[in-house]
Amino acid sequence: MAKYIFKRLLRSLLTLFIIVTIVFSLLRLMPIEGYFQNFEKMSAVQVELGLKELGLDKPLPAQLLDFYSDLLHGDLGVSNKYRRNVPVTKIIAEKVPVSMAIGLTSLGIALAVGLPMGILMARSTRTKHKIGDKLGTAFIVLIQAVPAAVYYLVIQFYGTKYLDLPMQISSGRPVTYILPILSLALGNIAYYAMWLRRYMVDESNKDYVKLARAKGVPASAISRKHVFRNAFVPLVQFIPTSVILTLMGSLYVESLYSIPGMGGLLVNVIQRQDNTVVQGLVLFYAAISILGLLVGDILMAIVDPRITFGKKEGGR
Amino acid sequence: METETILSVRDLDVKFTLRGQVLHAIRGISLDVHRGESLAIVGESGSGKSVFTKTFMGLLDSNGSVTAGEIRYNGQDLAGYTTDQQWRTIRGREIAMVMQDPMTSLNPLKTIGDQIEEAIVLHQGLKGAEAHAQVLKVLEEVGIDQPERRSKQYPHEFSGGMRQRVVIAIAVACRPKILICDEPTTALDVTIQAQILQLIKDLQKKYDLTTIYITHDLGVVANVADRIAVMYAGDIVEIGTCEEVFYDPKHPYTWALLSSLPQLGVKGEELYSIKGTPPNLFLEVKGDAFAPRNPHALKIDFVERPPYFEVSPTHKARTWLLDPRAPKVEPPEHIKHLREQGVNRHV
Repeated sequence: MAKYIFKRLLRSLLTLFIIVTIVFSLLRLMPIEGYFQNFEKMSAVQVELGLKELGLDKPLPAQLLDFYSDLLHGDLGVSNKYRRNVPVTKIIAEKVPVSMAIGLTSLGIALAVGLPMGILMARSTRTKHKIGDKLGTAFIVLIQAVPAAVYYLVIQFYGTKYLDLPMQISSGRPVTYILPILSLALGNIAYYAMWLRRYMVDESNKDYVKLARAKGVPASAISRKHVFRNAFVPLVQFIPTSVILTLMGSLYVESLYSIPGMGGLLVNVIQRQDNTVVQGLVLFYAAISILGLLVGDILMAIVDPRITFGKKEGGR
Repeated sequence: METETILSVRDLDVKFTLRGQVLHAIRGISLDVHRGESLAIVGESGSGKSVFTKTFMGLLDSNGSVTAGEIRYNGQDLAGYTTDQQWRTIRGREIAMVMQDPMTSLNPLKTIGDQIEEAIVLHQGLKGAEAHAQVLKVLEEVGIDQPERRSKQYPHEFSGGMRQRVVIAIAVACRPKILICDEPTTALDVTIQAQILQLIKDLQKKYDLTTIYITHDLGVVANVADRIAVMYAGDIVEIGTCEEVFYDPKHPYTWALLSSLPQLGVKGEELYSIKGTPPNLFLEVKGDAFAPRNPHALKIDFVERPPYFEVSPTHKARTWLLDPRAPKVEPPEHIKHLREQGVNRHV
């Protein structure tokens, strides 16, 4: 397994290299006007100096080489527009914890609510009127069908109006976090409930569940030890990605509640042509996405004995 | 030999509701299962043989139910059981089951050892190291080498035949009185089939089990059964000892079934098959269910359902042909000589 992980990491590095190189090169194709606020008034010499200051006077391969050698020292360069001369790493380091705190809390809530909901819905499919399943399905369809932006606004509107919750977040007061966390959790609740229900219904019709019943295993133990455990396996793969996605923050929720997180940062810096920050963010996002998939695959292999990493043993 | 009845079914009716329609799957079956015997229930797909035995364990799908009759076991009427709790006193503990497809009947994510141990903990009251020791013992009993190593493996590391041995191990680990084998060899390689049947026979002797085989394979039946019950359209049409049913069959359906034995085929000629299709059990069956496909059918077969006519104390068949007033109809020539043709107990 160690060998497999090592190979995957090497391949991931290659992927990262390609992504960053392409994005880096594309950014250099942008017109230079965007780099300066008062380009029209600048003389050719000033432009020349400005470009030199930004490190843009050298040929592209040399710029790339500089970028990678800095990167090896953990230096992503400094922002030149968004927050002048502040290191990109510092910007990310300041913003990530904010997004992550909200994101992880909401994910925790989503799992704590979504998984039991999925279990209850799956159980309800065995009852006569399937009321629980129908209600749950209605909720899931509603959340999936209504654009998130719409119910975010509904939550903010009613939350602030009737529950008297504040519109803006402030770090000292936990109440201010309720609405954004709720907004973020809803989607994941629906997502996990939907998939867990589906996998549980699938599993509970399998022969081994019938055999367990024939063995005399109590229904509750079948549901817990056989059905839930097996239905959870495919979900295990999603969780690391869900966790890591919280690092990226949510553009919409963060702007609704003035949360100083990662959400919207990328859009912001692209608009302002702050290349160093764009590069840094792309690298960061790509790295964590790849990591999420990798951790998901590894977890999957741990919980499902049928998956092996050796080529010779060849899985099932 | 004095026979003692272990399980007694009387006038059992099972109905399923499918999209508002009612399917009458079992139509008034009565059957006594004798302690220690091997009973084979044969019949084509859809004849209700699986459904029938599932009622003994409360394993019918949720849209099906026993609507009439009783199933007497140990002085209890199982047909009246409704809760999971009641059934748990029967499932595994009294009646265990070996299912058809060993590839799917084991949990892919649990080790073999765990799955056997689950049964042992439930039914033998052992725990921890003791239970584990018992797992190894059972594995050895069903003929699995290196039980210590094998018990830590997962189902995908076992071949089909080995998995069926594990399924049998699970059933036996429950220490049941009755073992239902639902097509235990259908999904297996021909070479493995005989081994599995032998294994079940050995365990039956060792643990004094009563076995009920469900199969459509007359070869299996000839090999293992003391008695045979022939099912057609949710009813037992003929029942008798293995000898009686093979060598002196009375019901035209049994004739047709035996004629379909590939062993009776003549080289170059098409194999015999029964014309027509079984009746639609969504509709009420009038008279003898087999009548429309029966070349020997009498007028009364279409009007009134035949009762059982006793041929011998152990042999009875539901056909009007046995009525004293019926015309003499001889069974087809070729099956009259099954014995001479070497189609014997070792088909």
